[in-house]
Amino acid sequence: MMCSDREAQLNEYVDGTLATGARALVETHLAQCAGCREAVAELRALVDGARGLPRTIEPASELWAGIAGRIGKRETGKGKRWWGGALAAAATLVIGFAIYRLLPSSTAHDRREGRGWVAVQADYARAADELTAALATERHRLRPETVALLEHNLGVIDAAMRESRDALARDPGNVELRGLFAAAARQRVELLRWATRVATSS
Amino acid sequence: MQADPSDLIQRAQQGDQAAFEALYRAHVGRVYALCLRLTADVVRAEDLTQDAFVRAWERLASFRGESAFSSWLYRLTVNVVFLGERASRRRARRVFTTDDPAALERPGEGSGTAGGRVDLERAVAALPPGAREVFVLHDVEGYRHHEIAELTGIAVGTSKAQLFRARRLLREALSK
Repeated sequence: MMCSDREAQLNEYVDGTLATGARALVETHLAQCAGCREAVAELRALVDGARGLPRTIEPASELWAGIAGRIGKRETGKGKRWWGGALAAAATLVIGFAIYRLLPSSTAHDRREGRGWVAVQADYARAADELTAALATERHRLRPETVALLEHNLGVIDAAMRESRDALARDPGNVELRGLFAAAARQRVELLRWATRVATSS
Repeated sequence: MQADPSDLIQRAQQGDQAAFEALYRAHVGRVYALCLRLTADVVRAEDLTQDAFVRAWERLASFRGESAFSSWLYRLTVNVVFLGERASRRRARRVFTTDDPAALERPGEGSGTAGGRVDLERAVAALPPGAREVFVLHDVEGYRHHEIAELTGIAVGTSKAQLFRARRLLREALSK
């Protein structure tokens, strides 16, 4: 464990922002203190790890259509490509949902539990209700194929939510089940949000 | 063949939306990664990515080529994120304040799938917002404390304190 009064100094040492004199003092201390040496090694590994993170992450949804809709009329001839992207995004949501169900529980679920499970469920329900209402007014702008795909995907997600809810009724305190339910609920909100965005940018 | 970026910028400045779309395709991964790491919220990150590109379109005329277009765009993105987040916190309307590890596990271009990176992404997403923002800007994006202070409106000392706090929390989380 590092000496508690050395945190700022050791961080600045790792960042290379200490003046020469202060740097020499830290090095003298490090020669005598195993805890601070260990902390410096961990800090360096952390900084290197952060620098090594991927610089890019591709969004799961096709965002250009929404941008094009806001900056002006979308050029003709792009419909097919955009439509293909929209289908791919919808498919990704379903696949992503399936993958997410297989993932181990995360800290996110633990924190949700801390906020109060009832409040979390209410958050998801409110968000879904708001989006459903918004989508209802714009639904006519969507192509019939999109509506069919949307309803199919919502059906898959609703089935998963029902299964999780039934399992939770039998085991109300199960954090893993709550995580599954929350993941499905989140996918539902994201799918509705995507559909609303596509409808309003059409 | 890839189009010349300066030609694309010039055409986009003249209102050519196809050229701007090409710029979007070239930079969306980096802009989205920045938004996602700063907010730890997939839906919010998508909205902010769109906001950033709309803002970039509106302000393209002010880009004079004094810095790289990418630097200009990422700086503008940080501004958009912080303006948006401030407004969002004021309204206290964030429906989801939690991270989405599944999204962060999607590999980006040229990335590996090493467990260490995934663990670090998850741990960063779980940080308190202030600490997370400074950590992402300083240690991931390479901004200096005075630049972070300028971009976010916090003091240099606060930026340092948040960075050290973030690193402490991350070391604790990753050692478990």
